[in-house]
Amino acid sequence: MKSKYSALPYYVWMALFTIAPLILVLVFAFTDNNGAFTIENISQVGEYTNVLVRSVWLAAVATVICLLIAYPLAYIMSRLGPSKQRTMVMLIMLPMWMNFLLRTYAWMTILENNGLLNRFFGLFGVGPFDMINTQGAVVLGMVYNYLPFMILPLYTIMVKIDNRVIEAAQDLGASPLKVASSVVLPLSVPGISTGITMVFVPAVSTFIISRMLGGGGNLLIGDLIDLQFLGNAYNPHLGSAISLVLMVIILLCMSVMNQFGEEEEREGMLI
Amino acid sequence: MSTNTIISLKDIVVEFDGERVLEGLDLDIHDKEFVTFLGPSGCGKTTTLRIIGGFVAPKNGDVFFEGKRINDLPPYKRQVNTVFQRYALFPHLNVFENVAFGLKIQKLPEKEIRTRVLEMLELVNLKGFENRGVNQLSGGQQQRVAIARALVNHPKVLLLDEPLGALDLKLRKEMQIELKKIQQSLGITFIYVTHDQEEALTMSDTVVVMKDGDIQQIGTPEDIYNEPKNAFVADFIGESNIVPGIMKKDFLVEFAGRDFECVDSGFTPMEQVDVVVRPEDIKVVPTIAGHITGIVENVTFKGVHFEMEVLACGTHWLIHSTQSQAVGASIGMQIGPEDIHIMHKMEE
Amino acid sequence: MKWLSKTYVAAVMLFLYAPIGVLIFFSFNESKSRANFTGFTLDWYQKLFSNEMILQSLLNTLIVALVSSVIATVLGTMAAVGVNSLRKGPKALVMNLNNLPIVNPEIVTGVSLMLLFVMFKELMGRVGMNFEFGFTTLILAHVSFSVPYVLLNVLPKLRQMDIFVYEAALDLGCSPSQAFFRVVLPEIMPGILAGFLMALTYSIDDFVISYFVSGPTSQTLPITIYSMTRRKVSPEINALSTIIFAVVLLVLLLVNFHGARQERLQRRKGGAAA
Repeated sequence: MKSKYSALPYYVWMALFTIAPLILVLVFAFTDNNGAFTIENISQVGEYTNVLVRSVWLAAVATVICLLIAYPLAYIMSRLGPSKQRTMVMLIMLPMWMNFLLRTYAWMTILENNGLLNRFFGLFGVGPFDMINTQGAVVLGMVYNYLPFMILPLYTIMVKIDNRVIEAAQDLGASPLKVASSVVLPLSVPGISTGITMVFVPAVSTFIISRMLGGGGNLLIGDLIDLQFLGNAYNPHLGSAISLVLMVIILLCMSVMNQFGEEEEREGMLI
Repeated sequence: MSTNTIISLKDIVVEFDGERVLEGLDLDIHDKEFVTFLGPSGCGKTTTLRIIGGFVAPKNGDVFFEGKRINDLPPYKRQVNTVFQRYALFPHLNVFENVAFGLKIQKLPEKEIRTRVLEMLELVNLKGFENRGVNQLSGGQQQRVAIARALVNHPKVLLLDEPLGALDLKLRKEMQIELKKIQQSLGITFIYVTHDQEEALTMSDTVVVMKDGDIQQIGTPEDIYNEPKNAFVADFIGESNIVPGIMKKDFLVEFAGRDFECVDSGFTPMEQVDVVVRPEDIKVVPTIAGHITGIVENVTFKGVHFEMEVLACGTHWLIHSTQSQAVGASIGMQIGPEDIHIMHKMEE
Repeated sequence: MKWLSKTYVAAVMLFLYAPIGVLIFFSFNESKSRANFTGFTLDWYQKLFSNEMILQSLLNTLIVALVSSVIATVLGTMAAVGVNSLRKGPKALVMNLNNLPIVNPEIVTGVSLMLLFVMFKELMGRVGMNFEFGFTTLILAHVSFSVPYVLLNVLPKLRQMDIFVYEAALDLGCSPSQAFFRVVLPEIMPGILAGFLMALTYSIDDFVISYFVSGPTSQTLPITIYSMTRRKVSPEINALSTIIFAVVLLVLLLVNFHGARQERLQRRKGGAAA
């Protein structure tokens, strides 16, 4: 088909609304209010090292917890019958379709000082515990919101593992544990790397979860950026510099993960 | 052939979702034998194999291996290995690692693993392929890896589940001969599942013909071919003319409107029977010399012989002959006493 | 083993659904308390439906979602046809650019678009014209993050399509555009539809990007929800959650039921052919 030109409008659109804005971020990050070149903004980001470290650390912890919870679940799902598999996928996706603000709000009501959990503990005469406005609460919120992003790619890759390959391993003397470690695990590596990316990227850049569950004391990179653009600290130049740093962090994470995943798989997973 | 039994199945019943797949199957398999389970799809042959491998638990009945009941033994503790349908190679491992898998599980020393794997790759003609990825191999090569992967563990019994099903005809023939050679040189039991009767007849010591979860006949390939027990076996094992007849007395049968001498006896006089005549056993002769006269309806050249459809006495007969006849010609058909096989009617 | 895995699945499901269950439960609670159930009421639902702000933002959300996903679907489908005929190298470049908004953190996409619109507003101001954040910026932003998904859905369908089908149509006397509309379009329709639905759901659900590009008069539902959660105690959120959950459940059940039936039909057809 000789219809190369039908893509032209989209190329123009991409140039205007995808590429130009990112170039603007780059420009803003390296200029001051008068439009002169400066690296002031970038060096200023250094003052927030503790926030950067906290963001990466909390996102990493949440990602690992997601992986630990999701891995056995995805495997169990992948060995079910087709209709049960469909039901399970639906059950996993259903909470994902609820707006994440509502999901996070739900945990607010559960974790707060006179919330449901503390009342429950009260029945046994313990507590109340400080659960809301802690780093633990932020991690919990991340795990809860992004767990399906880990389960689904793992499940997609595991469902492709032929039952006969697993039987072949058993036939050759591998115990269930050995089957898991020497066949299922290596074959699911692309799913693991996709899952890690899909959980880590939104987790490290979130600003709502930390604001709602972390209180004021647990600022993350996302909160910093938000403060520079819509907050009291209005400074789009610094905000752009922080955004740039965030993109670099994510690019690093993704290039590490890309070593393991197959490009083809990832494309399929995003859909 | 040794007569000691290595595997014995007793009254095996298998159900999937309430549907009976095997109905009280009894079978003894002898040591060092090449046994083939033969039958159409859905006859329960693969299920029987998977019971021996440990992948299907029978609802009822016992599985014995060298006299010990192994019903509750998981697959990874059984001394049998399987060559799976479409191979089931580990896609993340190369040829060497695939073959070495079982030995590594047994935690054998590296050196021994290496020698045994290389030895086995040589046996299956894959020397020099150690470092290839399994997805870079042709179907025939993948097949050889699957066989090597199973055999390297020195199983007492090798189970093969339609191993040649995905190969083209020429390759199949080569592999058939090669598999038979391997079995003879290793001197172990092969249990082979196929729906291809020719494959079963060329390779096996014993053929087990199955249908609807039941064994129809067990015997040597010659027995099965020459003395099929019923019309199903006769029809499934090669093309046959099966016509109704009446056994008048011992050594005399009536079919196609006249009496024929035959070599069968022991039927009740005047019993309704099925008469089997192989297409290649009907001789084409001039009309006067024939037992039956027929009209040639159709002729197809099949490479080594002509296949003719002949209408005679209201029945369509299949005849294989090296000489072609004109369509519409009248021919005589001659059938000798030893070419006639009499079978009891199958109760449907 | 069976027992262990069943317990495990149940535990994960409890984790996923307990919080939603709590929201739904307390949406029927008489008092404003989020821990004490004092009595059954439907008041919060009534309040919800008389809340001008929520109803207005719901309407806004639907308008933005519909307009932006229609534009995105047309743009994305046209792009897919063009990209499909590119050679390997340029195609990889376009696809990488296309995936940028997908892999980029939402917050970065949000602030970068905000910067663009702020710049544009200043430029317009200089020539004495007025440009405000509102529906236009929202729709432009939503189209931008939706097209990539449309493209990713349509392109595989084009790739799978038998190229000779198009040539056969030409051979039978169709002009290229006739061939496209009569043969190609029906063939890739499932992909287009999937892309449209995805664009629609992403648009309805989006908070982060809308948060940076919406104006005071164009609040979408997620933005309204956000401001409600900031006010801490507002049981209308519980009622709203319940309704959203019910709608999502219904939609998913319908989709699932439809999918299952489709599959059964397919299997029956396949069985008949065999």
